[in-house]
Amino acid sequence: MDMFEFLSPLFVLLTIGGTLVGIIFGAIPGMTATMAVAVCLPVTYSLGLENGLALLLGLYVGGISGGLVPAILLGIPGTPSSITTTLDGYPMAKQGHGEKALRIGIIASLVGGLISLVILDLFAPALADFAIRFSYVEKFLIILFALSVMAALSSDLLLGIFSGFLGIFISLIGTYDVTKGGNGEWRLIPPGTEYWLESGFSLLPVLIGLFGLAAILDEAQTGALPGMSQKDIKIGQSERFSLRIFKGQTVNLIRSSCIGTFVGILPGVGGSAASILSYSNAKTFSKNPENFGKGEPAGIMASEAGNNGLTGGALVPLLSLGIPGDSATALLIGAFTLQGVQVGPLFIANNPVTWDAMIIAMLIANLAMFVLMYFAIRYFAMVVTVPKHILFPVILMMCVIGAYTINYGIMFDVWTLLIFGIFGWMMSKLRLEVAPFIIGFILGPSAEVYFVKTLESFGDVSIFFTKSPIAVVLWLLIVGSIGGSIWLHRSASKHRDA
Amino acid sequence: MKLTRRTILAAVSTAALLAQPLMATAQDLPRNIRMVIGSTSTGGDTYQNSAIVADALSEKLGVNIKVDAVGAVAGFKALARDKRGTTIMMFHDFAYLAELYGGKGFVNPFENYIVGATVATNPGNAFLVPKNSPYQTMTDILDAAANGEKVRVAIQPGGVSELGFSAMKNAANVNKPGSGENIVAVNTGSQSDKNQAMWDGLADVINGSIQSNEQFTQLPEDDQKAMRFVWITASPETLNGAPEAGMGKMTRDDMLKYAAPETHVPLNASEDFTFDKEFFFIYNKDMDPAIIDKIDTALSEIYADGAIQDRQTEAFFIPNFRPSAQAREHLIEKRTTYGDVISEISG
Amino acid sequence: MGDLTRVTINFDTSHLLFPTLIGCVLGLLALAIVIRDRKSVLNAHRHWAQVMRATDKPRFFGTLALTILYFSLMVPVGDIWPNTGMGFLLCSIPFVALTGLLFMHDRSLKHALPMLIVSVVAPLIVWWLFTDLFYLTLP
Repeated sequence: MDMFEFLSPLFVLLTIGGTLVGIIFGAIPGMTATMAVAVCLPVTYSLGLENGLALLLGLYVGGISGGLVPAILLGIPGTPSSITTTLDGYPMAKQGHGEKALRIGIIASLVGGLISLVILDLFAPALADFAIRFSYVEKFLIILFALSVMAALSSDLLLGIFSGFLGIFISLIGTYDVTKGGNGEWRLIPPGTEYWLESGFSLLPVLIGLFGLAAILDEAQTGALPGMSQKDIKIGQSERFSLRIFKGQTVNLIRSSCIGTFVGILPGVGGSAASILSYSNAKTFSKNPENFGKGEPAGIMASEAGNNGLTGGALVPLLSLGIPGDSATALLIGAFTLQGVQVGPLFIANNPVTWDAMIIAMLIANLAMFVLMYFAIRYFAMVVTVPKHILFPVILMMCVIGAYTINYGIMFDVWTLLIFGIFGWMMSKLRLEVAPFIIGFILGPSAEVYFVKTLESFGDVSIFFTKSPIAVVLWLLIVGSIGGSIWLHRSASKHRDA
Repeated sequence: MKLTRRTILAAVSTAALLAQPLMATAQDLPRNIRMVIGSTSTGGDTYQNSAIVADALSEKLGVNIKVDAVGAVAGFKALARDKRGTTIMMFHDFAYLAELYGGKGFVNPFENYIVGATVATNPGNAFLVPKNSPYQTMTDILDAAANGEKVRVAIQPGGVSELGFSAMKNAANVNKPGSGENIVAVNTGSQSDKNQAMWDGLADVINGSIQSNEQFTQLPEDDQKAMRFVWITASPETLNGAPEAGMGKMTRDDMLKYAAPETHVPLNASEDFTFDKEFFFIYNKDMDPAIIDKIDTALSEIYADGAIQDRQTEAFFIPNFRPSAQAREHLIEKRTTYGDVISEISG
Repeated sequence: MGDLTRVTINFDTSHLLFPTLIGCVLGLLALAIVIRDRKSVLNAHRHWAQVMRATDKPRFFGTLALTILYFSLMVPVGDIWPNTGMGFLLCSIPFVALTGLLFMHDRSLKHALPMLIVSVVAPLIVWWLFTDLFYLTLP
C-alpha cells in the first residue's frame, strides 16, 4: 500500500478545510478561486508537497463552486465563471425557487467535477497532445463560437449584439499586451488618462461593478423598499425537491462537463469561456430555448457543470505540458517550484505518487464541496433575509476589497468598480444588455490576439476556413448557434405580433 | 456617560498605539513594508525570488514585508508615489531593457529611481530547436543565416526574451555583415505560445528556459513536442554556481556545453555574448538613503549566515549578492553593453 | 483563393487592427439602431426626465456621493499608517453606517442598532481576516 501513503487524516482534513475556505471565497462577490489559492500558497511551503496540493486543490474546487451562491440568490456572480449561472438562477430565485436553483447548481457542479476528474485521470497525456493541435486559428474559432452566445442571450437582437461589441471594444482599451503576443503599444486611451488606463480595465472590478454596484444603485434609485424576503424566496418551507428535474438532462450534463473540461485543457482560452460555451450549447440544443434566461433549470445545469468541468481540464496541460490551463492553476506551478518539483511532459511519469495524491484530493474536494454546500443551503439562503440596508453596504465593502486585492493593491481597480457600476445602471435605462456586454468584455482580448496572430502568421484570410477539419466543425457550430438565435428571435416576435 | 480613569487610559493608549507608526521615521525602517514586483504572476521566478528575500529580510530586521505582484508599470508607479520607504521594488533586467527597447511607459531606472543590491541570478534563459531540427549548434544557425536561409525565432518582444534574439542578430552580423537580416522574430507571448509556435511549425528556434523546457528535451525524437537546447545565455561563471546535479536529467556539465565559451555567439570580434538574468532592488529616488544602508547591511549579514543560499539554490537561483553601489555599477555596465547591441542591430 | 485573401500584418501597427475592425462594426450597429429606433432616440431627453422623476433622489445621489467620498478618502487616510489597511478600516465603518442609515426607512434607534453594530463589526472582521490572516494589502 505504498501508493497511498500520502493518505493521512491531515491530508483529508486539509482538502476538506481548503474546500470550505474556497467555497466562502467563491461565495463572496469579488473574491475568486484564484485569490483563495494565492493567499494560501505561502502556507504550503511548510506543509510538504502532497499536503500542500491537497489544500490548494480543495481551495480551487471550492472557489469555483461557491460562485453559484450569490449568482443565484443575489444576481451577482461570485466569480467570473458563474456569470451564466446568474442568467437563469436569479430569475428562479425571484420566482421563489431559490433553494431549488441552489440544489440544481450544486448537483450539476458535482457531476461536472467528477466527469472532468475521470477524464483527467484516464486521458491526461493524450488530451494534451490533442490540445496542441489547436493553433491560433482553431482557438479564435472557439472564442468566436463562445461569442456567438451573445446573440442567443439578447432579448433584443440588435441592442444585444451592439452591447456585446461594445464590451469587446472596451476590453481593448489600454496596452496590446506583450505577454499575450502583442506589441506593447497603447490604443483607445483618451488623451490625459494614460496614467490610469495604460493597463485597461481589469475584468473582476468591471464584473462586480456591472452586477454588484449597479444593482445597489438601482435599488437606491427605486427607494430601497423592503422587497424580496424570506417568504418570497420560500426558504425553509422545504419546497419538495426531487431528482426528477434532471430527467432528460443527462446529455446536457455530460456535454457541459466535457465542454468545460475541454476548454480547461486549451491553454489561454480562459476559464470563463467554459461556462459560457456550455450554456450556449445547452440553449442551442434545447427543446425549449425560449425559456433560457427566464429561469430554466437546464441553464443552471449547463453553466455549473461547465465551470466545475474546468477544474479537471485545467490540470491537464499543467501536468502534461507544464502549462497552466487557467489563472488558478498557474499558481499551482508556484507550489511545485516552491518544493523543487519540475512540471513538464514527464511530470506524471516521474511523480506517480504526487499524481495519485492530486487525483484523490480532487475527488475528496468534489465530494466535500457537495456535502458542505448541500447541507449549508439553508444558511446560504438566509442571506436574502438580511435587510437590504445591512446587506448592500456590506456587499459594497466586500466588492471594494475584491477589486483592490485582485491585482495586489491597485486603487484604480476600485474606481473601475464605480465607473462600471454607474455604467451598468445606465445600461439598464438605455435598454442595453449587460450579459452580452460582459461576455464580449471577457472574450475580447483573446479574440483579438488569436485573430491578429492568425493573419500575422499565415498571411491569408482563407486560413480561417481551410486550416483543419477541426476548423470546419467549429464553423458549423458557429453558424448553427447564430442561425438558431436568429430563428428564435424571428419566431418570438411573430408570436408577439400574432 | 461615565468617563472613568480606566476608559481614558485605554483611549490614550490606543491613540498612542495608532500614532506609533507615524513617529517611526528617519532613523528607523518603516514597520510595514510593501515589496512590489515587476511581474503579475505569483507563480513565476520573480515572485519566488522576492518571497525568499523578503522572508529573510523581515526576519533579520523585525519588520513586516509583503510581496505584491502588481506588475512592471504599476510597480514603478507605486514606487514613484512613495518617498517614505514603505514601498520598495524587486525586479530583474527587464527594468532597464524595457526602456532600451522603447517600451511604452518605461523610463531609465538608473536616472528616475535608485537601483540597489542584486540578490540572485536565474540562469535559465535559453533557446531551443525541435529535436529533429537540422541545426545542431548556434554556429549552424549563424551559418544558415550567412547562407541566406531565414531562421525564425519565437520570442516575447520587448525584454529578456528579445535580448537573446537581438544578440543572435548581432552575432550573425559579426559572422557575416548583413546576415542578421535573416534572423527574423516571431512575436508571441507566454512560454506556452512560444512552444505552440514551434509545434505549429511557425518557428525554427524558440526562446525558453531550463526550468520549463528541460523535460521536453527528454522526449523521444518522434514525439512532436520533443526539443533540444542550442544555447543557454548565462555566463559560465554563473552556471558554475548551479548545483552539480543541475535540473532534471541535465547536469551542470551539460548546461555548460550550451553556454559560452563552448557555444559560440559572438558579441564582437573578440568576445562572446552572455546574459545573466539578475534580480535587484529598486527604490524611490527621494527615499532616505539610510534605509538603503540598513537593507544593504542586513543583506550582507543574511548572506554571511549562508542559509538563504540554500533556499535560493533549491529553487534553482544562483545566489548573487552585491551591495547597492557595486550592483549599480555592474548593472549600468550591462545596460551600456546591451544598449550598444540593440542600437547596432536597429542600425 | 488567389491574392484577394492575402493580407500582410505589420507587427508595429498590429495593435490598431482589431480595435479598428470592432469600431467599424460598432458604428454600423449604432447606425442601425438609430435608424430603427429613431423615435425613442429623439425622445431620449423625455425618457431620462422620466427616469429622474421616478428616482428616489436622496437615496440615489446620496449613495453615489458616499461611495465617491469613501473611495477618495481611503488612500489618503491609509497613507497615515502605511501598509496597515487602516485606510480601509477607518473609512469602511462610517461608510457602512451612513449608507445603512440612508437605505433605512424607519430610522428609530431600535431599528438602527443592529445595523450600527454590523457596520463596526463587519469591517473589523474583514480587515483582520485580510491583513492579518491572508496577508493581503489593503489601502
